[in-house]
Amino acid sequence: MDYHNQDSGAPGGLRKRQQQIGKNTGSILDMLPGDMDPLLLSDEKHKASGVRGASSGPAGKYNTGLLPNGNLQWGIILTLTFAALFTRLYKISWANFVVWDEAHFGKFAGHYLKRTFYFDVHPPLGKMINGLAGFVGGFNGTFEFESGHTYPPELHYPVMRIANALFGAGMVPLAYLTGIQLHLSVPAATLLATMVLCDVALTCISRFILLDSMLLFFTATSVFCLCRFRNLQISAPFSEDWWIWIFATGISLGAVASVKWVGLFAIALVGLHTIQELWDMLGDLKMPPARYARHWMARIAALIVTPIAVYILSFAIHFAVLNRSGPGDAQMSSLFQAGLKGNDFDQNPLELAYGSRVSLKNNGHGGGLLHSHVQRYPTGSEQQQVTCYHHKDSNNHWVITKAWGKENATSPDGVDFVQDGDVLRLVHASTGRNLHSHPVKAPITTAQNEVSCYGNATIGDANDLWKVEIVDDLFDKKTKRVKSLTTRFRLRHNLSGCLLRSHAVSLPQWGFKQAEVVCQKKGDPDSRNHMWNIEQHMHDILPPGGKGAYRSKFSKDFIDLNVAMWTSNNALTPDPDKEPDQLTSAPYQWPLMLVGLRMCGWGDDAIKYWLIGNPVVWWGSTASLGVFLLIVGAYAVRSRRRYRDWDVPGSWDDFVFVGQLGFVGWALHYLPFWVMGRVTYLHHYFPALYFAIITFAFVADHIGSKLPRLLHLGLIMALGVLVVANFIYFKDFAWGFNTPAEGYRARKWVQNWNLVD
Amino acid sequence: MLTAHMPGAKEQPQEDDLLRKRKPTKPDTSVAAEEHPVSPSSSAESTIPSALDKDDSKTLSKTPVDDDDKYAPRKLKSAVAVATSAAPTAEADTNISLGVLVTLTILALGVRLFQISNPSQVGDCLDTPAFDRYSGGQTPEWVVFDEVHFGGFASKYINGTFFMDVHPPLGKLMIAASGLAAGFDGVFDFKEIGKDYIAPRVPYVSMRLLPGILGVLVVPMSYLTMKNLGAANATAVMTALFVAFENALTCQSRLILLDSILVFFTALSVQMWTHFQSVKNRPFTLQWWMSLALCGAGIGLAASVKWVGLFVIAWVGLSTVKYLWDLLGNPRVSSMVYIKHFMALATCLIGIPVVIYMLSFQIHFMMLPKIGSGTGFMSPEFQSTLQGNELTETFAEIAYGADIMIRHENTQGGYIHSHKHFYPTGSKQQQITLYPYADANSIIHILPALEFVNKTAVEPQVVEFKQIKHGDVVRLEHGPTKMKVHSHDHRAPVSDAKGNFEVSGYGAPGFLGDSNDHWRVEILDHDPENPYLFALQKFRLIHQNTGCALFSHAVKLPEWGFGQQEVLCSQNGKKQLSTWRIDFNENPLQPETSKKVGYPKPSFLSKFIESHKVMWRINSGLDGVHPYQSRPLSWPVLSRGISFWSAKAGTAKMHLMGNPLVWAAAGAALGLYVLLEAIAAVLSKRQMTYVAGVFADTTRGAGLLFMGWVLHYAPFFLMSRQLFLHHYLPSLYFSILLFGVLFDGITRRILGGSSILQWIAASLGAAACIAVFVSFSPLTYGLPMSKEHCQGLKWRKEWDWDCK
Repeated sequence: MDYHNQDSGAPGGLRKRQQQIGKNTGSILDMLPGDMDPLLLSDEKHKASGVRGASSGPAGKYNTGLLPNGNLQWGIILTLTFAALFTRLYKISWANFVVWDEAHFGKFAGHYLKRTFYFDVHPPLGKMINGLAGFVGGFNGTFEFESGHTYPPELHYPVMRIANALFGAGMVPLAYLTGIQLHLSVPAATLLATMVLCDVALTCISRFILLDSMLLFFTATSVFCLCRFRNLQISAPFSEDWWIWIFATGISLGAVASVKWVGLFAIALVGLHTIQELWDMLGDLKMPPARYARHWMARIAALIVTPIAVYILSFAIHFAVLNRSGPGDAQMSSLFQAGLKGNDFDQNPLELAYGSRVSLKNNGHGGGLLHSHVQRYPTGSEQQQVTCYHHKDSNNHWVITKAWGKENATSPDGVDFVQDGDVLRLVHASTGRNLHSHPVKAPITTAQNEVSCYGNATIGDANDLWKVEIVDDLFDKKTKRVKSLTTRFRLRHNLSGCLLRSHAVSLPQWGFKQAEVVCQKKGDPDSRNHMWNIEQHMHDILPPGGKGAYRSKFSKDFIDLNVAMWTSNNALTPDPDKEPDQLTSAPYQWPLMLVGLRMCGWGDDAIKYWLIGNPVVWWGSTASLGVFLLIVGAYAVRSRRRYRDWDVPGSWDDFVFVGQLGFVGWALHYLPFWVMGRVTYLHHYFPALYFAIITFAFVADHIGSKLPRLLHLGLIMALGVLVVANFIYFKDFAWGFNTPAEGYRARKWVQNWNLVD
Repeated sequence: MLTAHMPGAKEQPQEDDLLRKRKPTKPDTSVAAEEHPVSPSSSAESTIPSALDKDDSKTLSKTPVDDDDKYAPRKLKSAVAVATSAAPTAEADTNISLGVLVTLTILALGVRLFQISNPSQVGDCLDTPAFDRYSGGQTPEWVVFDEVHFGGFASKYINGTFFMDVHPPLGKLMIAASGLAAGFDGVFDFKEIGKDYIAPRVPYVSMRLLPGILGVLVVPMSYLTMKNLGAANATAVMTALFVAFENALTCQSRLILLDSILVFFTALSVQMWTHFQSVKNRPFTLQWWMSLALCGAGIGLAASVKWVGLFVIAWVGLSTVKYLWDLLGNPRVSSMVYIKHFMALATCLIGIPVVIYMLSFQIHFMMLPKIGSGTGFMSPEFQSTLQGNELTETFAEIAYGADIMIRHENTQGGYIHSHKHFYPTGSKQQQITLYPYADANSIIHILPALEFVNKTAVEPQVVEFKQIKHGDVVRLEHGPTKMKVHSHDHRAPVSDAKGNFEVSGYGAPGFLGDSNDHWRVEILDHDPENPYLFALQKFRLIHQNTGCALFSHAVKLPEWGFGQQEVLCSQNGKKQLSTWRIDFNENPLQPETSKKVGYPKPSFLSKFIESHKVMWRINSGLDGVHPYQSRPLSWPVLSRGISFWSAKAGTAKMHLMGNPLVWAAAGAALGLYVLLEAIAAVLSKRQMTYVAGVFADTTRGAGLLFMGWVLHYAPFFLMSRQLFLHHYLPSLYFSILLFGVLFDGITRRILGGSSILQWIAASLGAAACIAVFVSFSPLTYGLPMSKEHCQGLKWRKEWDWDCK
C-alpha cells in the first residue's frame, strides 16, 4: 500500500506532510513509510512532472532490495528474531515425556534412524528433518515414543524439539520481511511479525516434535518469495534477482507440499497469482511475443517443474533411506517389499508351479493377504472363514493343487508350471481345506457369494475349482505363466464365473475385523480388487529367482505410496453416530477460536500444554477478513458511482495484490476443510491463520493510512500492545504449567473452552 | 444516425479508458446517455435514438458477469455491431409473427400428442395376466416407468392419505388435479410397472395430457425467447423446431412425469426474464412489471415442481446482480430510484417465488389430512396432525409400576420393542429392537431398582404412586415376556465397534435379575425445582454399571431381527441418538386427578421445515443402483438412453433417447461459445477491440444462456445420488437456445445479413432435424418398426436398446 500517495488526493495533504516530516526528523514518526522511503522526494517530483514521472515512482518502490535502508530495520529484525527464539525455546525441555503427536512423529523419526519402512499419510520431508534432528540428538531409533512415556536419558529430545522450534522462530522475521515486501508501513510490518510472534497457538505448536512448524515456516517462505518475486517482476523482470526469487518460490512450494499436503493450497495460491500475471501481461502490447513466451517458460520451469522435482526428490530420499522391511510393508506392492532388506522374497522361485506354497496379495488399495483360520462363519454356510489380512503368518499359505481328477497328470520332468487359463484348487496349508465358493450370501456384502474353506484332500466338489486369468506382468508382457510378485491375475470361480475379491469391508468381531473376501458376480475385470499376485513363493524343486529378478520401479512405488496415502487420509472419517471426542474440532469453530485442545494429560501436577490462540490475533484477524470485504465492496460501489480513489498508478494493483494474497490465501487454506470428510483438528487452521494475520495487518494499515499520522501510528501500536499483553496473559498455555488448571479459570473466556471442566 | 456514430465508435474506448481511470469527476452527459440508456426519466428515453436502444439491449443481455476490464471493448463492439451489421433486417425481424407462433404451436401439438390417447405401448412386465389378455392384437395401456410414483401420488392426493416424496408438491398436485378433472377416483394405486389402466377405467390419457400440453407450450416459448434475444425470425423458427422435434423432450412429455412440467416452468422463466431484459430501459412500465412478476412466478413454480428449479432461481439471481451492478454505474439513477428498482426486483423475484413455494406446501398439507404411507417418516408431533393417528393423550406423571412405551427421538425407528427371538451372536439372549408401531410387544413396565439384602436381590414392592425423577435408577421390564432390558460386556450385534454394548432381554422365572438391569434416568435440561419425569419429556437412560447410554440409530438388524432397528448401549454415542420420550403411560395407581398430555400440534412453518429435512434425507439416501442410471459426464454426449418399456413380441419399445442431431448441435454450440469467448477475451486483452467486438457481437445473448446451461448442469457433479439422463433436459433447453443464438450470429455475419439466405440455412437445419426425429420416432412413441430400422438407429455401440 502506497501510504503517502494515498493522502495526496486531499488538497495539499502531501505537501503539508512533507513540512511536518522535515520538522520531525528523528522522531518515532520516522517509522511511517513515507519517511523511511528514500524515494519520497523523487515521488514528489514525479507528482509535479505529471503522469509519466509518477509511473516510474512506484516502479522505484518495487525496486527497494530485500529491505529499505536504515539501521532501524536491522534493529527491528534482530529484536523480533531474539524475541522469537526466546518464546519458542524457553523451557522447551521441561516436559520430559512424549507430548501429543510426538508419539507419531518421534516414532517416524526413529524409523529413519533404524531404516525400517513405515507408512503414514503425510509426505516425508518434515519427518526426515525430524529424523535428522534425532540423529544429531543421539537418538538410535529404539525408543518407541509411546504417548506420555518419559524420554530415556540417552535420547536428547530437546535437540529434536529445538529443530522444530527454530522453524517456528524463523516465521517471525519472515513475517516482517514479507510485510516490507508488501509495502506495509514499518509499524504495520512490525505488527504483522508481532502477531506471529505472540500468537500462543503458533508458539505452542512450534515447541514439539511435529510437522506443523515446518509446514508454517515453508508456507511463510513461499509467501515471502512470492512477494519478493512480484516486486522484481514489476521493477526488473529477468534480472538475476528475479531468477533467484522465482526459483526460490518454486523450491519453497515444493518443500511445503512435501511436508503436508495442505501445502498444495499454497501452490494453488501461487498458481492463481501466476495465471493472473500472465493474463495481465497478455494485455501489454509492448511486450514482444518471445519475451512473453520466456515468461511462460520461466514459470513452468520454476513454479511447476521445480516443486514437483522437490516433492519427488523427498520421496526418492525416503525410499533410499528406508531400505529395511518394517511396519509399512503391507501398504506397498509385493514387488516393492521384495526390494527391502529383511524379507526373503528373493528366495521366491520365478514361476508358479503345481505344488507351490504361496501367499496371495490382493492388489486393491491397501489390500491384504488371502487368509483362512479354523474359525467358522456364524452365518451362511457356517464353513471355515476366508478373509484378507495384513499380518504375515502361516495361515496365509496356500498350496497350488491340480483340479479334482487330474492329480496325477504330471509332466515328465516333474515340474508342472501353472499356465494362463488353468483350472486348479487352492489348498489352505495349515487346515488342508480347499478354497471354495457357492451361491450363499456373503456375510456382509450380501449381494455377493460367500467364499469359504471346505473339505479336505479327498472331500470336495466342483465349487473348489478356480480358473487363473493372467492380467499382465510388469516385465514380461506376453507371459503365459504366473510369475512371483510381478504377474497380476484374477481367480475366477470355475462353476459360477464370479471373481475372487477382497475389499475394504471389515468383518465383525467374529471375523477379528479382518477384511471380507467375497466372490463377485459380474465382477468388473479391470478392478484392482479382483487382482492378485503371488507374494511369498516356496517350492521344493524350483530354484530361487534371486534379487535381480524382483526390482520395482521408483515411479510405480511413488504412485502406489501416494495413492495409499490418499486412501488412508480419506479413511480418517469420524463416526456419524458418535459424539466427537475432545481432540477433534469442526472448521466453523476455528476462526472464532471456540475450541482449545489439551495436548497431554490434565492431572493437577502434570506439566500441561493447552493449544489455544491469542484472542486478539484470532478474533481480530477473523474480523479483518470481513472488514476487508467491506472495504472492497465500498471501493467497488464508489468506483461504480465514479468517485476517484486510486489516482496513483499501481496503488490499486497493490491493494488488490495484498488483499488477494491475504484473503484468497486464507480462503484457500480454510474452506477446503469444510468439504473434507476426514476428521479435522484445531491446528489445521494455522496456515490459514497466517494469511488472516497478513490481512489483519494490511487492513489496520490501510485504515490507519486514512487517519492523521499520529492516529495511524497510535492505532497500530495499540493493537501491538494488546497482542503482547494477551500473549503474556496466556503464555503459560504455550510454555506449560504444572499447577491445577483450576487456577486459570479466569482465562476461560469462552464457554466451550475445555481449559477447566 | 448510424453514420453519425461511426466515428464515435472509434473514440469511445478512449472515453471509456478515461472513465476506468476515474478521470472525469463529472461524467459527460452525452457519454452517459450512450452508455446507460437505462433511465428512469421518460424525457431521456425520447432523446435516445432507437438504434441505441437496441444496441444497449444487445450489450446488456450479452454477458451476465461482466467485469470492469471487459467493459470498454464490449461497449465498442456493440457500437461496431450497429454500424456494421445490417440493422434494417434486424429491425424487421423484431416483430413477433403471430402466424408463426400459432403454426409452431399446432405443429408441436402434433409432435407431442401424436397418438397419446392410444399408443401401441406394450409393457415389459411380461408375466402380468394383463399382457396375456391383450397380446392378441389390441394395444393395452399400462403403468410405465416412474408413473408408478407420480400416478401413485395423484391417487394419494385424491384419497387424502399422507405420503412423503423427495420432490416439492406442485407438479404432483397438478397431475392429481388433471386426474380429478377427468374423474379419477383414486382407487387405482399405480403399484407396479405394467399394471393395466383400461379395466379400472383410469383416465390416464388426460393425466398424460397435462405434461403433454406443457411440453407443447415449450415450443412457442422458445420462439418468443429467441425473439427477446434479438434473433432473426428464421433462426427463432428453426430453434423452436429444434425444441419441437427433440425426441427426449417429446418422450418425456408423454408420460405422467414431472420433468416436462419442470422444463415448461423453466422455459417460462427464461422467456419472462429475457423479455424483462429487452424492456429494461423502460422501467416501471406495465410491460416491465408484468415480465418481472411473471418471471418471479415462473421461477417459483419451477422450484415448487422439483428442486432443480432452484438452479433457474440462481440463474435469474446472478443476472439480477449484474443488472443492479449496471444500474449502479448509471450516474442518472438517483439513490431513491435505485432503491425503488431494488425493492421491485426483490418483491418480484424473491417475494413471489417464496409465496408460491410455501403456498404449494400449504395446499399439499391440506390435501393430505389422513395418515398414509409417509407417516412413518415424520416426527410424532407431525403425525398428531393427521387423521387416524394412534397418538392419544396420555397421563403426564410417570410413576413406578406404569406401563409405558418409549419412543426413540431423532430416528423414525419407533418404540423399544422385544419379542421371543434371540440374538444369534453375543449373549444369545432375547432381542431388544425398535419397532415403529405401538403393539403389545412395545409395552414396558417400569420398576424400581433391585434392593440387595446380604447380597441377595430383593424385589421392592410398588404400593404407592411414586413419581420417577431425575437421577432415579429404574428397571425396564418387557410387558409380555417379563424380560428385563439388560446390558453387559458383549459387543452390539451389528455395530460392534468398541464402546458399543449389546442390549438384551434377560431374566428367568424365579430369577430377579442383576444390577446389569439398572438404568439411571437423566432428564435433559431438567428443572431442579421440579425434577420429575413427565410424558413427552426428553430423557436418556444410562446403564448404571458401565455408564453407557441406551442408544439406537438408523441401522437395521439382519433377517434374524426382522429388519428392525438396532438398539445398543453406547459409551460415546451422539446425545441426540440416545434420547427418548414416553408417549404412552398407564398406571393402575394413577390418581384420577392426573393431567393428560398429547403432542403439541406444530405450526405450518415447523411442518414445512420438517418436511424439508425429511426430503433432504430421503434425497441423499437415493443411492440405490438402477440399470439405466448415469453420471452427468455422459449426458451432453448422449451416451445412453433409458428404456421406458419394450414389447415382448415385436420391436415396439419406448426409449428415452435424444435427437442426436439436436444434441450434437447443442454440444457444438457450447464448445464454440467457449472458444469464441476465449478468442474475444484474448483479442480484447490485446486491444484488438474491433475484431474482438465482431466476435463478441456474434455471441450476443449467448452468455446468459451459457450461464443457464452451466447452472443447470454443473451442480449434478456434486450429487452422489442416483441420476438419470432426464435430469439433463433443462440444461438441454438452454443449450438448444444457445445453438440458436450462435447460429443467428454466425449466419448473420457470414451471409451478410441477407434474410433470404438465412431462411435457407435455417430451413436446411430444421429439415435435417425433422428427418432425424422421424427416424428415431418409433423409440419415442413406442411404435413397431422393422428390425433393420431398429438396428440402423444404433449409431453408437453404447446405444443398447434391444432389436430382437
